[in-house]
Amino acid sequence: MTANTTVYKAPETSGAGGAPARPPRRRASPARRSGWTPWLYLLPALVTLGGLLVYPIYQLGLISFLEYTQAQVSGGEPTTFQGLGNYATLFGDSQFWQVLLATVVFAAACVVATLFVGCALAVLLTRVRALPRLALMMAALGAWATPAITGSTVWVFLFDPDFGPVNKVLGLGDFSWTYGRYSAFALVLLEVLWCSFPFVMVTVYAGIRAIPTEVLEAASLDGASQWRIWRSVMAPMLRPILIVVTIQSIIWDFKVFTQIYVMTNGGGIAGQNLVLNVYAYQKAFASSQYSLGSAIGVVMLVILLAVTLVYLRLVRRQGEEL
Amino acid sequence: MSTRTLLRVRRPGRLAAEAAALVIAVAVAFPLYWMVLSAFKPAGEIQSTEARPWTLAPSLDSFRRVFEQQDFGRYFLNSLVVAGTVVIASALIAFLAATAVTRFRFRFRTTLLIMFLVAQMVPVEALTIPLFFLMRDFGQLNTLGSLILPHLAFSLPFAIWMLRGFVKAVPEALEEAAYIDGASRTRFLWQILFPLVFPGLVATSVFSFISTWNDFLFAKSFIISDTSQSTLPMALLVFFKPDENDWGGIMAASTVMTVPVLVFFVLVQRRLVSGLGGAVKD
Amino acid sequence: MKLSARIAAPAAALVLAGLTATACAPGTSDTDAGSDDKSGTLRVWLFQEVGNKPKEKVVDAAVAAFEKSHEGAKVEIEYIPVDTRAQRIKAAFNDPKSAPDLIEYGNTDTAGYVKDGGLADISKEFAAWDEAKDTDPAAKQSVTVGGNVYGAPLFVGVRALYYRTDVFEDLGIEPPKSQAELISTAKKVHKEKPDLYGLAVGGAYTYGAMPFIWAHGGELADETGVTYESAINSEKARKGIEAYTSLFGDDNCPAAKCAAMGGNATVTAFASGKAAMAIGGDFSHAAVEEGTVKGKYAVVPLPGVEEGSIAPAFAGGNNIGVLKSSTHRTLAVDLMKSLTGKKTQAEMFDAMGFLPTYSDVRDTVAKKEPFVEPFVKTLGAGAKFVPASPAWGQIDASLILPTMFQEIASGRKDVAAASDDAATKMDAAFADAG
Repeated sequence: MTANTTVYKAPETSGAGGAPARPPRRRASPARRSGWTPWLYLLPALVTLGGLLVYPIYQLGLISFLEYTQAQVSGGEPTTFQGLGNYATLFGDSQFWQVLLATVVFAAACVVATLFVGCALAVLLTRVRALPRLALMMAALGAWATPAITGSTVWVFLFDPDFGPVNKVLGLGDFSWTYGRYSAFALVLLEVLWCSFPFVMVTVYAGIRAIPTEVLEAASLDGASQWRIWRSVMAPMLRPILIVVTIQSIIWDFKVFTQIYVMTNGGGIAGQNLVLNVYAYQKAFASSQYSLGSAIGVVMLVILLAVTLVYLRLVRRQGEEL
Repeated sequence: MSTRTLLRVRRPGRLAAEAAALVIAVAVAFPLYWMVLSAFKPAGEIQSTEARPWTLAPSLDSFRRVFEQQDFGRYFLNSLVVAGTVVIASALIAFLAATAVTRFRFRFRTTLLIMFLVAQMVPVEALTIPLFFLMRDFGQLNTLGSLILPHLAFSLPFAIWMLRGFVKAVPEALEEAAYIDGASRTRFLWQILFPLVFPGLVATSVFSFISTWNDFLFAKSFIISDTSQSTLPMALLVFFKPDENDWGGIMAASTVMTVPVLVFFVLVQRRLVSGLGGAVKD
Repeated sequence: MKLSARIAAPAAALVLAGLTATACAPGTSDTDAGSDDKSGTLRVWLFQEVGNKPKEKVVDAAVAAFEKSHEGAKVEIEYIPVDTRAQRIKAAFNDPKSAPDLIEYGNTDTAGYVKDGGLADISKEFAAWDEAKDTDPAAKQSVTVGGNVYGAPLFVGVRALYYRTDVFEDLGIEPPKSQAELISTAKKVHKEKPDLYGLAVGGAYTYGAMPFIWAHGGELADETGVTYESAINSEKARKGIEAYTSLFGDDNCPAAKCAAMGGNATVTAFASGKAAMAIGGDFSHAAVEEGTVKGKYAVVPLPGVEEGSIAPAFAGGNNIGVLKSSTHRTLAVDLMKSLTGKKTQAEMFDAMGFLPTYSDVRDTVAKKEPFVEPFVKTLGAGAKFVPASPAWGQIDASLILPTMFQEIASGRKDVAAASDDAATKMDAAFADAG
């Protein structure tokens, strides 16, 4: 933590003192007189990201302040500046708040479920012999590798009221999973869980294997339960990994699009299963209200930015260097 | 391996754990099994309300319908071209960038790193709107370029972030030794560092490959009228019909679409597991 | 804290930049073509219908003849799904380079597409076209905006009541004569034969629901001189909505299945023998004939509120238009003529049951095929149209009415609340369109 701040303490020093007065380095590296080399290496990445990420984000922000519908796009009418008008429309729409709430709750449920299942199975993997471990690992990799769109269609088919095996086995008759709001969300959650727990499981498993055996052995000989071992030994040691997988899961699950779009047919009956991403898409591309769609995109961006800040603070509290 | 030995103490416990692992493995694999099974089922059995977990008369009809569909091979090839280009380009660009941010100290380094992290948060779908206009203004709509470029941009931040750990893991002493031996910076970069980081590149590629291969939003939005530039997900949607979904066709097309990713995964499986461990451990 | 400051600064800069620089908003597309090539590839988008094969055959024949008579011209036909057409067609307007030359479009979209600047004005060519003189006035009206013609009518679509003759005979009942009887008959059938929907209805089947609203004297919107004002929450309209949504439920068409259905799904249910009645169009005829109920059904006009009256049907239909951005205008207009000409329309009728838009052709086929009688009768009783406003396209694409029906059918909102919401959204769309 201190190291980090010393390195970047004073940009004004270098500004005042010219090139030689660089901030002190933490370690001597062969790259000391690097000069332009790092920028050269960074150039392709910066150009790509600048053109295809930063610039579109700027445009997204811009469109969200304009009146931009089909008529403007095809040149029928001039674009006009709306100020915060689009945001006012958005925040005044009760549907937006519903969708926002649904998105947050749904993403939270997905994250919790994914982490719980992923960690539990990672621990399970350490307790079984090679064959069952290979079986579970392969099945998980298969689920992970399945494209979201095919995964979604297969799950819809599995739960199809007429032809799916799930209703047959559970004796649900022709119960339609996509009709009810919660059952539809539950179905999507199951699919998201299915295709995203493997990442958590594999990563955490790799992490556990890196923990020195003696530590776990000692805990085990003390007669600690599996839950105890996890709570007081593994979890603290896996903290950096857990933070990474949590953040990745939040990012992924908050942005779920394909699953909702495919499984609930674009947002469900009367839009009951809309999440922000799909909502923005429908606003922009179905009803050609590009500016409203962009405003929703900006809202998502801000929320995810907030999550990032929390993440960075967590990382920093551990004294880790970026 | 050694983690397991300590738990050898309680046998019944382990047997229960193994049974659980197998049951879960079966449950997790079931949707994939059902997909392949349905692809091979004859039409009558799929639409039957007696969903049986096996078939006695496997048929290739569904696959035939898929491959007879206009230009399916072309879509497959397009998907491969798009995913392949993105994987290779993003691996190279990310490697250079990761080297820059880990082996050099320069102004704005931390700011840049944070930007790379923030970039991962960007909801891709929200950017469909500006990207659509951007691609239009560059005349890229309806071309594979309109799929390659955005995916390249979206897979880079995560790739850089992940590769960082791998580059960092290469001891600095090695670099110093190389320079003492008179190797140029370029030589060190490509002949020494690159091979050492290669496993990490593979693990990283998995992510860019999947996200590109799976994409259906950009394909849906940017490939408007030129069907010869379509990718696989679009071919899959053809089987969703207004009257009655052709489940056999959907499942066969899904199988065809999933197989390459599975192959890719199995090939890199080992590196993926160790790679992820390495990346997050730093 | 320092890190967050580092992040906040660029973010703030981004927002500020957005606020100040409005100059470089994404440009608008210039949809005017500029050239008129006499050879090359013509791209055509047609709708994918339920049971599309016969349509493809007729189109293929017309295209083959066209390619023969126009050397150097190639035609590429793509069938696009009706549900997501709005996105596809909008995208085509946005990028003239990837746009097709000809599109099939529903007549409800005419005003919107013209306002978007997507369709070419072909008044001159239409006036000079011999066959066009026999186009019936209502159909011509559906391609006309502000006195200019933006396409050629392909068929007239009007809906009536399909019912299963065998089921009705079995239960000893007659086809319903009034709306009340229609509803009671539907429930009666479902009670006697629980495997069948009495009347297949869909929460997303707007055009099947409209006759119920109109039959009660309701309107979708009232004209207020320059623009429209929604009337979907008027007393009369609500009665119609009430009547239509009363058909969702375990006593007729379980909401769990029917709320999500659109028009095509209800027709499919009828064709596959899962419903005793359905509201289908002349254009659904081929699909029903293909189904398992062939020879076991008949069609009557959809009854109105008064006994013996006919509920006003929606005067639907599709047109084919040339895109403004087409670089093959002359060729495209020729192809449009051959796709919508008398010969093709007559063949299309035989293949799909699409009612021709030419009065003379329609009379000829009506004599040949008795099944069109109820449709012609319905047309004669006075069909109605959606508000001729550019806003309608947006109202349609943002699913305002389906959302309303689904909210009521699934019991989430009552008729009053749902129709008030829909009215608010419709008014916003009308206001936007100016």
